[in-house]
Amino acid sequence: MKRIAAVIVFIALAAHVSAAAAGSIGISLAPATANPTNPRMGDHLSFKSVITNKGATPVQGVVAWLGLVRVDPGNEQPVDLEDWSAQKAVTRTVLAPGEQLAVEWPMRLIQSGDYRVVVSAAERSARELVSSPFASFQVAPKQVIESRRVLPIAIGVPMLIALFILGRIMFRRKNKGER
Amino acid sequence: MSPLISIITKESKELLASGRGLAWLLTASLILSAFSLLLVGNTELSLLDNAQAVYMMMGTITALGCLLAAVLGSDAVAGERERGTLVPLLLTPLTPGIILTGKMGGLAIAWLIIYLISLSYLWAVGGTGQNLVQAVAYLALFGTPATLGFGFYSLALSARRESVRSALIIALITLIFLSSPLLIGPGLRHNPVGKAFDAINPIAVALNSYDSAIIDSQSFGEQMPRLAAALIWLGATAWWARRSVRSLHP
Repeated sequence: MKRIAAVIVFIALAAHVSAAAAGSIGISLAPATANPTNPRMGDHLSFKSVITNKGATPVQGVVAWLGLVRVDPGNEQPVDLEDWSAQKAVTRTVLAPGEQLAVEWPMRLIQSGDYRVVVSAAERSARELVSSPFASFQVAPKQVIESRRVLPIAIGVPMLIALFILGRIMFRRKNKGER
Repeated sequence: MSPLISIITKESKELLASGRGLAWLLTASLILSAFSLLLVGNTELSLLDNAQAVYMMMGTITALGCLLAAVLGSDAVAGERERGTLVPLLLTPLTPGIILTGKMGGLAIAWLIIYLISLSYLWAVGGTGQNLVQAVAYLALFGTPATLGFGFYSLALSARRESVRSALIIALITLIFLSSPLLIGPGLRHNPVGKAFDAINPIAVALNSYDSAIIDSQSFGEQMPRLAAALIWLGATAWWARRSVRSLHP
């Protein structure tokens, strides 16, 4: 329940602030064209955001960051980006009127599921947050520990050692017998 | 054949040439097999869980190496004493340095064999994940000083105790104490005592390096203080073992 509540709050907050702060800063977000169509765990995706100062005055101290939330039923939760993306935030001292700040957000897909990604931005004097629309993607599962790799090793290695031991014992007995 | 090679050959033969001697190797491989089989079929693992599995496998291999070192080191001198072969050995013109290096040579070969066998398990568990090459390199880099250092430590105990049993009990108690980071998570070791213990404990040093490099993908440069700690452990135990073997008299 806590996870669901967190996701609802996350989505509601993002929707609310992007509507409320439609004034000076606008953010667009789109997946990169080179992204795989059916991404799997371990693949890399990239998202491109453009932050635009739509106002008539310069915007000071802009900071933009990436947010990720998992939304598939039963697994709703905000995702800690620590292992997903090295590019977590960008800053700009001043964004002049009409100026755009284009940022590419690379991401490594760590776990399977349905995800929504969003870029949020804040400026020094703003009282509210601005967010991009969500970009959605689905990550197909990939068995990270494959039985076809593990089974031959887990069974084969002890068996080889056992055979080697048996061979040594038989060789010794044969030698003793010959003597 | 040089005396050093003779001792290494004798020590290695006891471990590798007989069926009974090789039972330890079969047991070690069965432990690694059981551990890797536990992980098969878990489809909910993320890529990080895979790295975690490799990390745990590396910790198990290092602990197995240290356990082997504790047993072999404890037997190295006290075992000779109990079998009545220590006095003849000390009456030979072999220097304490050669006796020590010869005994440790046998242990190093045993560790090398465990390491080589464990590579197949690391590949099986971590081949589809991240940082497998690093896992192979870090196991050699940090597992070797931990294991050999434990061998030196146990050998020193063996030279200073009258019986294998006495030396082995002390070595195993020390091993259990130093292996506590395998059971106590990093979060519980964040107080000053835990941090100090982590900084000097060779097994914690190895585990923290595995964690840092395999799970967190941190650079080799960040491991340098830990590598220094591992080498200090190796150097200090080698010094103590040499001193202990020197103090032996026929």
